[in-house]
Amino acid sequence: MFVKFLFLISTLLTLAGAIGVVAVKNIMHACVFLLASLIGVAGLYVTLGADFVSAVQLVVYVGGVVILMIFAVMLTGGDKADFFNKFGFEKVSAMGNKKTYLVGSAVLIVFTLSVGKIIFNIIDLKSSKDPQSYVSTVEQLGHLLLTDHVLAFEASSVVLLGALIGAAIIARPNRGVK
Amino acid sequence: MNNTIVSYLLDFEIVRNMFDFVSTKFGLNASGILTFFIFFIAAFIVVNVMAVIGGLGTYAERKISADMQMRIGPNRVGPFGILQFLADGVKMIMKEDIVPAKADRALFFVAPTLCLMGVFASLAVIPFSKGLTLTHLNVGVVYLLGVSSLVGIGIFLGGYSSNSKWSMLGGMRGASQIISYEIPVTLSMLAVVVLAGGLSFDKLVDAQTGWPTGWFIFHNPFTFIGFFVFFVGVLAETNRAPFDLPEAESELVSGYHTEFTGMRFAFFALAEYVEVFVVCGAASALFLGGYKVPMDLGGESILGQILQMGSFLTKTFLLYYVVIWIRWTLPRLRVDQLMVVCWKYLTPIALFNLVGCALWVYFLNGKSFYELVMNMAVTSIHSGGGH
Amino acid sequence: MISLSSYLLISFFLFLCGILVIIARKNIIAILLGIELLLNSAALNFVAYSRYTAQNLDGHIFALFIIVIAAAEAAVGLAIVIRFFQIKESIHIDDASQLQS
Repeated sequence: MFVKFLFLISTLLTLAGAIGVVAVKNIMHACVFLLASLIGVAGLYVTLGADFVSAVQLVVYVGGVVILMIFAVMLTGGDKADFFNKFGFEKVSAMGNKKTYLVGSAVLIVFTLSVGKIIFNIIDLKSSKDPQSYVSTVEQLGHLLLTDHVLAFEASSVVLLGALIGAAIIARPNRGVK
Repeated sequence: MNNTIVSYLLDFEIVRNMFDFVSTKFGLNASGILTFFIFFIAAFIVVNVMAVIGGLGTYAERKISADMQMRIGPNRVGPFGILQFLADGVKMIMKEDIVPAKADRALFFVAPTLCLMGVFASLAVIPFSKGLTLTHLNVGVVYLLGVSSLVGIGIFLGGYSSNSKWSMLGGMRGASQIISYEIPVTLSMLAVVVLAGGLSFDKLVDAQTGWPTGWFIFHNPFTFIGFFVFFVGVLAETNRAPFDLPEAESELVSGYHTEFTGMRFAFFALAEYVEVFVVCGAASALFLGGYKVPMDLGGESILGQILQMGSFLTKTFLLYYVVIWIRWTLPRLRVDQLMVVCWKYLTPIALFNLVGCALWVYFLNGKSFYELVMNMAVTSIHSGGGH
Repeated sequence: MISLSSYLLISFFLFLCGILVIIARKNIIAILLGIELLLNSAALNFVAYSRYTAQNLDGHIFALFIIVIAAAEAAVGLAIVIRFFQIKESIHIDDASQLQS
């Protein structure tokens, strides 16, 4: 009963956040809506019994990526309401004008029809096949990460190192030497 | 899966009878609704007690700072001035709610709420005692860290939405400080997790004993250093001096909460004091033995739970006193010194601690320093007696 | 009981929102927000299938790696955006057209 309640709240939060990211003009508000959506997805992971993935989602996404986005908005002066591109004779605001949303919706319809052909045949909202009961996944995940998936684990550490160094070098202010 | 307060209460005959009584009276399986009801009451009690502790924290700070500065502090409102925090609360409620002209109204409303949400959501896993904790999540430690990051977002949004240069500077400094100091805090926590073998707070506390020789802080030299790294890190996480540059009263007017008046400012202040309690509780649970009572007096009964809660609260309030003491003793760090301390000193030390702790567990089978000394003493006595 | 299909529909909706954000919005940082939505929908799909169909933990491992890589990619992407802003004083995607003929 709690699981259903949590599922309902998390779904509402996720969907409302996603619609917010699409629709709001102000980029800061869009970041806050993304935050709501990510917290909703963390709740959905809990209903799926993925407790460790949910906690990692909270730490990495909520506590890292969203703050990063907000910092980037601050550092690029993005809190002004509307950015127009400097070149080009039709001024397109940074929100996107009607033409872009029309093109987007057309792509969306094409995509829905094509993927929907597959998905809507297997949708079965009434099936009540009971999955296994919730178990703690932390120890098993740790075991798997170091035995079956150790290559991906080590490779992702190299990727993170590269991202760290790369981001620090790319965003460094010009010292005038280069 | 998780041990919660409800599963602890269901161990009692009275509670089980009450469940059966309600189920038969209403004719349906009322256990879900009753579970929710018990959780609601327990959470309500915890939140209210924490809010009072937050308020008393302001009173304690003023009294302790007065004691250190050889003055008296609040002594008018109530006996020994103990109702001062209620008077402050009434004052803040009665203040006019000013929103700056060009401020971002939606984010202005959301920012203090985010701070408070983050702090009060982390109260669910604080281990008050073995049975009376709200829930012992399997991933309690990581959940605590993740939810505390919401406070950083709240601070940043508060600084941004005020549309004022002082607030913006304070907000950016606060957010960068919080995300930087999460790293040494997480690594120190991981060293303790390696020792205990689990992420949930009750497993971490149960791996220690009641006597100080079994605490993790005295387990090996790496966790000893780790405790101080953790303590300095959480001082910076909660924006307490000497790391309180985001609030910097003498520099930034009031930093990120300059433009917030009345109850909104009260939310920020309450969030800060309750967060200090939460991190002191986490420090005492991870390193100082948490709710363990020497010789496990009382066991599983209610008396045992009360003793355990008393042990936990004693250690937490001692650490709270140390936090307040540090604030009124040390000068404030500059923002570049702050970043240097985190990235050049605390993070390498925390990494070294994690590796050292793991090696200690591997080579010495997880025996603590005290156990090694005792073993050596016992074997030397035996071999000495044999000759 | 919550069936697998409800999770599929939620992740499909997130995917659609992500695509709409990437196509329709012209602010580079908004496009990065859309990419985060896409990655989340994929990870949710993985975890849902691992619980209902596969009954092992491979989906969880994949979701963990998705989260890690998404964070790294967000960091590098935002560094590029900041550099772009330092050069061009604008974060409009139409100004990133130097490679066009």
